[in-house]
Amino acid sequence: MLCDKYKPLCFADIKGQEDSVIKIKVFMKNFPIKKSIILHGPAGTGKTSLAYALAKEMNAEIIEINASDLRDREQMKKIIGSASQQGSLFAKNKVLLIDEVDGITKDDRGGLMELLILIDKTSFPIIITANDIWNKKFAPLRQKSELIEMKDIDYRDIFNLIKDVAKKEQMNSSDEALKILAIKANGDIRAALNDLQTITEGTNVDSIDERDRELSIFNILRIIFQDITRNDILELLDKTNIDLDEITLWIEENIPNVYKKEELYDAFNALSKADIFNKRIIRQQYWRFLTYRNMLLSAGISVAKKQGRLGFIKYTKPTRILKIWIIKQKNIYKKSISQKYAYHCHISIKTAMKEFPFIKQIIISNDKIQKELKLEQDEILYLKE
Amino acid sequence: MSSEVWTEKYRPHTFEEIFGQEEVVKRVKNLTNSLNIPHLLLAGPAGTGKSSMAIVLVKELYGEKWKDNYLELNASDERGIDVVRQKVKDFARTKSFGKVPFKVIFLDEADALTKEAQQALRRTMENFSSNCRFVLSCNYISKLIDPIQSRCVVLRFRLLDKKDVEKVITRIAEQEKIELTPDGLNELYEACEGDCRRAINLLQVTTSVSRKITKEIIETILGKAKPKDIHAVLNYALAGNFKSARDKLLDIMLKESISGIDVIKNIQKEVWNLDIDPVLKVRLTEKTGEIEFRIVEGSDEFIQLEALLAYFVLVGKGKE
Repeated sequence: MLCDKYKPLCFADIKGQEDSVIKIKVFMKNFPIKKSIILHGPAGTGKTSLAYALAKEMNAEIIEINASDLRDREQMKKIIGSASQQGSLFAKNKVLLIDEVDGITKDDRGGLMELLILIDKTSFPIIITANDIWNKKFAPLRQKSELIEMKDIDYRDIFNLIKDVAKKEQMNSSDEALKILAIKANGDIRAALNDLQTITEGTNVDSIDERDRELSIFNILRIIFQDITRNDILELLDKTNIDLDEITLWIEENIPNVYKKEELYDAFNALSKADIFNKRIIRQQYWRFLTYRNMLLSAGISVAKKQGRLGFIKYTKPTRILKIWIIKQKNIYKKSISQKYAYHCHISIKTAMKEFPFIKQIIISNDKIQKELKLEQDEILYLKE
Repeated sequence: MSSEVWTEKYRPHTFEEIFGQEEVVKRVKNLTNSLNIPHLLLAGPAGTGKSSMAIVLVKELYGEKWKDNYLELNASDERGIDVVRQKVKDFARTKSFGKVPFKVIFLDEADALTKEAQQALRRTMENFSSNCRFVLSCNYISKLIDPIQSRCVVLRFRLLDKKDVEKVITRIAEQEKIELTPDGLNELYEACEGDCRRAINLLQVTTSVSRKITKEIIETILGKAKPKDIHAVLNYALAGNFKSARDKLLDIMLKESISGIDVIKNIQKEVWNLDIDPVLKVRLTEKTGEIEFRIVEGSDEFIQLEALLAYFVLVGKGKE
């Protein structure tokens, strides 16, 4: 993997975070006034790399505990606690790294408390990384520690770095392509390197998705209607911000564009059941049912197909809501006529609307009635249409 | 000025012209003569003379000036009780004209009011009882809360029987110089189900087509009002043409503004008129029942109807 191969080894390798490098140097100079430092910021901004680079610069051994380890009181004491006291056998110095501290969960019982104790006792610097350090439970940790915020890396820094890597890897890629790639990374240098790797394997740079971009409705429809049902289909509808009601309308509109016969029926049956769960959620405010609605809309429609479908299918925009709206506009006349009739004849507007076919006949048959009801020209035209 | 709409033109002007409600008429007449009128609750099916009774009552009370002393509100249209209260207040603020010391407010279809609105109405009735009388009408007395029932004298209107409807219709036919055959008269009664207003409307619609009223003509008129196109929708689906079936169905539902439940009722009836094997008819009807259940349970009735059409496509085994 390119992102491993070109991991920064020293401070000079760290691109786009010059401020942070200066700050960590100051921290080391003042050690042990503060014994721990928190590096926080979005993914791929170089937090862990900065810690490793520091260890390298100090010629220190790095002792790490991260989210993949159990981090309760016992483990914290065993791994970090013991290392923080004794001298290392091979190196003069040690750096203790608590990676992704915001990943400490309820299962890591007492881990955070133990960390606070260790900070007081340690004779080596403790580096802590986190995406988000502003949770209340980290307040004591923030007080004890120096804080460095790692900002998104500027796309120009990312561009320079991947251009450098591309050159070393002897890839022929245009500057233009690399710039697009750098912009699409949205400040995440690791993502940029991962994406760079995929173009070496012969992809077009335009096909690289922007990082964190949500799935469009057409992607969703293609995955549901055309792909062989995937294992991650249940998460499909979580990856978009499009409202489930809107997705329902798109699916409803397009089922007959793709499916025939048994497939058509199975798909509509799933849609029908999803609709029932939707009403149950509304009626009972029991949100667990959302899981089932979600499953029926994604997997339910997807498994209706007998085989996958390659190629381009033209998905059409839902029109039902529009049609309803147009008719409603026309019904304005129906309503206004019903209203006039209702007041005149001592009945409710509702009753008049219900009996409109009769009422219409009666009004059309006699001009005097039209005058009597004070109908407008538009209303009379609507009746005669 | 006389109206050209027959339900208005032939609306009763006196107690004697209200047919089929002899008991109620007798009681209201006595109350009117004594000028001591309580709040009234007129209960009974549609088209039996409740609104007519309210209008005759105020005409008897106030004579020529009846419109100045009478406010008519329809509870199923005046949604919020706030509107009702505001209108009632404005109306009740001024004194009545003439010898009668109160005005009359007619609140039609009072059973359409929500329970909360009824509670508010109950206070309003008390607050304005010094210079207002309320006449309420409803189809179902059980939908009104007890405190309102207890504040009113309840007058029950019975469903009009055949001879009452015939009396009304024959009188109109004579004045309008329409030829009315006995089977035409019978058909009018059958179709209106005791609803006199509906019978008069049907008579006027039929007259606009022919001045001789026969059973056949009435049947054609009634047939027109029904969504016969459902048959075409089902045939599209059975032939495998799902998209045409659903477009046509949506078209019918929107243009005629019929609900999903009304459509499903029609489908259930139409299935037996289809040109298919009875075994299939049974299967389709069973599925129709299942979908009717889902419409009641679900939120989007059109999606449910589409599921049913997809089943028709499947069973029809039509072309690809």
